[in-house]
Amino acid sequence: MTDRRAVSPLRVATAVALAAWAGLFWFLLVSGRTSLYLSSRTAWVVPTGAIVLTMAAAGRLATLRAVRRERLTPRTSWALGFIVFPAVVVLTLPPTALGSYAAARRSLSAGFAGPALDTGDRVTLAAVAAGVWSEEARRALIDRAGSQVTFEGIVTRREGSPADEFVLTRFIVSCCVADALSVQVRVVGAPPGRFEEDQWVRVSGTFYPVGKEVVVAAGSVRAIPQPDDPYLNV
Amino acid sequence: MALAETLDARQRVAWRTPILILVALAGAALLARALSGAGIGAARTFLLVFGSLLVEALPFILLGAAVSALIEVFVPASVFARLARLPRGLQMPVAGLGGFAFPVCECGSVPVARRLLLKGLHPSAAVTFMLAAPILNPVVLLATAIAYRGRDVMWPMLIGRAGLGLVVAMAVGWVVGSKTRAELLRPDRGLHEHEHGDAQEGRWARYFGQLADDFTMLTRYLVVGAAVAAALQTFLPQDVIGRVATTPVLDVLALMVLAAALSLCSESDAFVAASFVQFGMASQLAFLVAGPMIDAKLVALYGGTFGRGFVRTVAIVVFSVTLAGALWIQVAFG
Repeated sequence: MTDRRAVSPLRVATAVALAAWAGLFWFLLVSGRTSLYLSSRTAWVVPTGAIVLTMAAAGRLATLRAVRRERLTPRTSWALGFIVFPAVVVLTLPPTALGSYAAARRSLSAGFAGPALDTGDRVTLAAVAAGVWSEEARRALIDRAGSQVTFEGIVTRREGSPADEFVLTRFIVSCCVADALSVQVRVVGAPPGRFEEDQWVRVSGTFYPVGKEVVVAAGSVRAIPQPDDPYLNV
Repeated sequence: MALAETLDARQRVAWRTPILILVALAGAALLARALSGAGIGAARTFLLVFGSLLVEALPFILLGAAVSALIEVFVPASVFARLARLPRGLQMPVAGLGGFAFPVCECGSVPVARRLLLKGLHPSAAVTFMLAAPILNPVVLLATAIAYRGRDVMWPMLIGRAGLGLVVAMAVGWVVGSKTRAELLRPDRGLHEHEHGDAQEGRWARYFGQLADDFTMLTRYLVVGAAVAAALQTFLPQDVIGRVATTPVLDVLALMVLAAALSLCSESDAFVAASFVQFGMASQLAFLVAGPMIDAKLVALYGGTFGRGFVRTVAIVVFSVTLAGALWIQVAFG
């Protein structure tokens, strides 16, 4: 007896939509771009998504033949296209992290809880962020005044600041980019006009906490490529 | 001859839509590359936040759809008939604790609740499950404990989140309880009206049909919700939130509004709440209870699943009961 079931175009289109999303998740996993979107805490979602989406796409491909005739209407095609659209957009985005535009809108004004420095620890940007709202963390920073530090981040500028000053900004992500908060350090004595906004730099210099702000008197400022983990995960 | 022409015309129509869609997708890809490549800050922020919300939520939508399809195809109807016979007063708390059996977060609980509703569970119980499961499940409670470990408020936060979460979910369940299934659900929803339910299809064909149906329906709404959340976060400065940190009541409302705008996943939102040290315990608790029940992406998902007025009812009950409960817990245990 012959099988009268025909391949359903609707099922093929659905399988393609699932496969497109599976492809995006595999791409994020292989290219290491997960860190542009998620923190290390939630990064497990990407391999999980890649596997379950692949299984769903494979399952749909394995059951393409329908007993009844199924039509792929233009309305359904557009709806499936709409689902695939964000996957295509994320896939084609250049691998750039959040920049100076977001820095101004995502300050630590609602608070930030990070680890205070222990004796002997290096001064980190996370410790600087913790010092904004915690008295204990701020005292630990004050104890390190005058010590040498090295910070990496993007160049952002405040209106009216002198030419040899900029603000070094790094984002802290707890869950995903949606909760990113910016930690900022004022860099003084930088070579004027050499660094554009959003340029990644490594600043080495002497560290001075001044109230809730931190100032670094730059010894050296070097342009660097965007790190593999552009956001700090605390 | 005439027949050949008709067939020819049909073929052209059939191909026109997919080609147009491919062209539109290619255009979107080029635009995304050009916009954020040119360093337009707002576009870059929007696309990164939009992408991150989708990447975080989509696997859970699919897992929810997979559980929902499992219920539809593999769990015998008699199980639900037995459950539906339980008194409503018992169905609601049992459903509220259902998250311990199905540890789903908020995106995954929507298709599962819808399926339970279609299978005959009382609307109160299905809605209670949908709202409580993203909070009352072992993964989320463990994450909350880790986020607050070493702090005095760890136990009040943990017990408060679980207890208040259950109370708020049951309150919404009770309010929508007078509605019938038909009144509660949105009537026209699927792309694949004729794809499943055919007894001649094999079990696995029906399973993947259901799964694909739920996935495609919910993803459409998730994309809209993520876009709204990303736009809110791109264009509204979050700094204003910090200014009300010490104003009573307003601080609690501010963090509930922030939770709604951020649209974080309940599996990891506790780490964000724990960082709001400027805000008191009641505000952080409200963030953790209201966030997984109503936010920008959930409004879109509810809108696609349920009928008119559902989003409004959930918003009013969740915000008011959470506000009262969080303030009371702060006074009693804070």
